Amino acid sequence: MKNSEIEIVFQPYGSRSKYPSGTIIMVAAKTLGVDISSLCAGNGTCGKCKIRIQRGTEGISSPTEKELKHLSQKELKAGFRLACQTKLRSSATIFVPERSRVGKQRLQTEGLNVPVKPSPLVTKHYLEITPPTLHNVRSDEDGLLDTLRIKHGLDNLRVDYETAKTLPIKLRKAEWNVTAVVSEKRIIDIEHGDTSERCFGFAVDIGSTKLAGFLMNLNTGHVVAVAARMNPQISLGEDVLSRISHVMMHGLNALRELHEAVVSSINEMIAECCEKANVGTGEIYELNFVGNTAMQMLFLEIWPQYTALSPYPPVLRRGIDVEAAQLGLTSHPRANAHYVPVIGGFVGSDSVADLMAIDMLNSEEIVMDIDIGTNTEIAVGNKDSILIVSCASGPAFEGMEIKHGMRAATGAIERISVDPDSLETHYRTIEDAPPVGICGSGLVEAPAELLKAGIINMTGRFNKEMAKKTDRVRTTPEGWLEYVIASKEESATDSDITITQADIRELQKAKAAIRAGAEVLLRRMKLTKDDITTLYVAGAFGNYIDAESARTIGLYPELPLDHIKFVGNTAGTGSRMCLISKQMREYAERISENVRYYELAVDPDFQSEYIKASFLPHQDMSRQPFVTELLKRHGRVP
Amino acid sequence: MDDDKNTKVFEKLTQAVITGDCAMAEEGANDVLNKGIPPYDAVINGLAEGMKVVGEKYEKKEYFLPEMLLSADAMYAGLNILTPHIKSEDKQKGKVILGVVEGDIHDIGKNIVKTMLTVAGYEVIDLGKDVPVAEFIEKAKSEGAKVIAMSTLMTPTLMSMKAVEEKLKDERLKGKVKTIIGGSAVSETWRANIGSDAFGADAMEAVDKIKALVSSITAAAEALKQEEKKTTDEK
Ligand code: FES
Repeated sequence: MKNSEIEIVFQPYGSRSKYPSGTIIMVAAKTLGVDISSLCAGNGTCGKCKIRIQRGTEGISSPTEKELKHLSQKELKAGFRLACQTKLRSSATIFVPERSRVGKQRLQTEGLNVPVKPSPLVTKHYLEITPPTLHNVRSDEDGLLDTLRIKHGLDNLRVDYETAKTLPIKLRKAEWNVTAVVSEKRIIDIEHGDTSERCFGFAVDIGSTKLAGFLMNLNTGHVVAVAARMNPQISLGEDVLSRISHVMMHGLNALRELHEAVVSSINEMIAECCEKANVGTGEIYELNFVGNTAMQMLFLEIWPQYTALSPYPPVLRRGIDVEAAQLGLTSHPRANAHYVPVIGGFVGSDSVADLMAIDMLNSEEIVMDIDIGTNTEIAVGNKDSILIVSCASGPAFEGMEIKHGMRAATGAIERISVDPDSLETHYRTIEDAPPVGICGSGLVEAPAELLKAGIINMTGRFNKEMAKKTDRVRTTPEGWLEYVIASKEESATDSDITITQADIRELQKAKAAIRAGAEVLLRRMKLTKDDITTLYVAGAFGNYIDAESARTIGLYPELPLDHIKFVGNTAGTGSRMCLISKQMREYAERISENVRYYELAVDPDFQSEYIKASFLPHQDMSRQPFVTELLKRHGRVP
Repeated sequence: MDDDKNTKVFEKLTQAVITGDCAMAEEGANDVLNKGIPPYDAVINGLAEGMKVVGEKYEKKEYFLPEMLLSADAMYAGLNILTPHIKSEDKQKGKVILGVVEGDIHDIGKNIVKTMLTVAGYEVIDLGKDVPVAEFIEKAKSEGAKVIAMSTLMTPTLMSMKAVEEKLKDERLKGKVKTIIGGSAVSETWRANIGSDAFGADAMEAVDKIKALVSSITAAAEALKQEEKKTTDEK
């Protein structure tokens, strides 16, 4: 068996190759182009390269000291190892778990096409109508409706008044070969010849900071073009509440201004998409909108004041249909605009979209859904009963109010590790560009790493002693302590990129709101975290958070990592689903009816839960067995 | 000699609060009783002093909710032992009407202010949350309180603060009853805009400013008293 060669297979890729005995897993992976995440370049200090050995356990090196620090007994038993530390002396199959795979394109938008069969509200039908004769005098209307009934099986249709006005001319000009545009039961237009292939709709995700628009082919359900804009309302108020305050102080004109601002940006997106895809704006027959409740009101020009005041009732809960033209949208003159239903004053159709995406209304199992944003909505339950809350978590995880915080963009630090021995750091940025700031996923990971390294303690306070051990811990001009992640020399800006004591406090506030919301909700439902079979994490940056780091800081109730699923931003997906599918619109309506809202602020336990949850990970460590064990391994006694 | 002994006990209480050490706070409180130190002095010079340091650390972001919680626990551990022994005339420095304004129900910040005021020796009339405009004023009148403290987390409910100010003016109470506002949505600009008497950027600052308001109101009377005392002392 000397000079023996071994075969290593990497799953789920199925790539394999032969290597000399004693090869380090990470080295083998590199030769095959299998990307295993690594921040410390294989030093064994970041612990991000966890893989699982599925087969071939006989020939593996025993765990190094470094591995023992990063892996729990449970993980070791399950075959988890660090790829950069483990040598193989016999053939083996290695599984690279989701969280150790290198994210591809961090800035890539979500998958565009939605897994829903199109059953659009607008359909087009090519007709060859027999003209009236002296022997068979039939109204133009009857000619149209008869053909639609006989040839297309469509009953009980009506000709719109606007369509009727020019119907006789259009029919005769086209020599009776026309396409009828049917929206619900109405014939909203008659077009010359066969245009049945050209049937488009536009779906919009109205975020309070970002707008996303999707031009879709309603026949196929495919996206044909996308566009994005910043929400121009920002100039009239950073967050939704200040926009509502603006309206309250300046009246109807201000409301109109906010409405027109967002409509004109949507029109720009429509124009951009139409140009890209060579579609006429008149070929858009249906529009669909998803957004939070404040956005619903500001977009539809509904007086928003009372929704912002306790007890925060929404004005409209059900989905609403409005003539697109009436809103000032550029599309077919008789196109319909639909705003997906909301649940409460602080739980909008973006939350409905979340629950739609995970099909919660049909779930047998108890699941929890957390949509992280400035307001974080949390739902828990199953098909029998679902309760939802909204937490004022603030924008810290979006990089706001954080000294070097930023949104996910080129150069944002998205992964961070701190070597507990040397207190040195390793990081990765989006697109590997020189660092500019820290984005949400980095802001989750940084406190987790600092906690493990003992640079901050469980109350979130920097340990002054650490300043003696490393230059990376130092005092800011404001008198706070901070940790230097990237020096001026490395960074793309002209300052060091740090995370300060004040930043940690902001993050604690945000995470405490979310965690306390989840805990109170569970208690209201008479459930415990162990009842949850799957925890879904949604939100713009949700996909890229490291599940374990989030668990380490106690962002959500502690669950085994394989029970946690990231679903990304579902608002755009939900909007597209509701654009192309009647069933999805009905489903949204059912979600809005059946999901009950619970007001956290009136819960007697909320305050104490909030304060307990402001610890890292939590004051009550009996709720954190995994983290307790993790901190012990790092020599921190919780 | 006596003073020195007292100072040591006070110091112990202060440290217990700063470090959030309940056992030490209880021990200190028992020392106070055993040594016959006036319990009110121990609260003010020991526990409250500790909370003051905690408040300062909070302001500097060195401390946050977790530390506040631990410190408050230690403080209450001490208070529970001392309070039953405090003479009632020692208790009151002044009355403060406190509440979250109409339309808002977020009261965590307000509750922190309440704790800090209580330990600093004020009688706090806590109206809770979503407090109607008129109630602030009615209570101030019926309780004879000279300070109204209002908070809100959300911008839309800033208007409720303005409404209280306006009603005070209508009732010709402006100036007689002082107001202080605070909460995430509130700013110095807003204070100036509505003509409130003070703005507290955080719980600690709120308590300091309330102290200032109370003393400004009683300043005249105090000054008079001091003056009299001085003249008698001199004689
Ligand atoms: S790459 Fe293996 S521990 Fe960092």
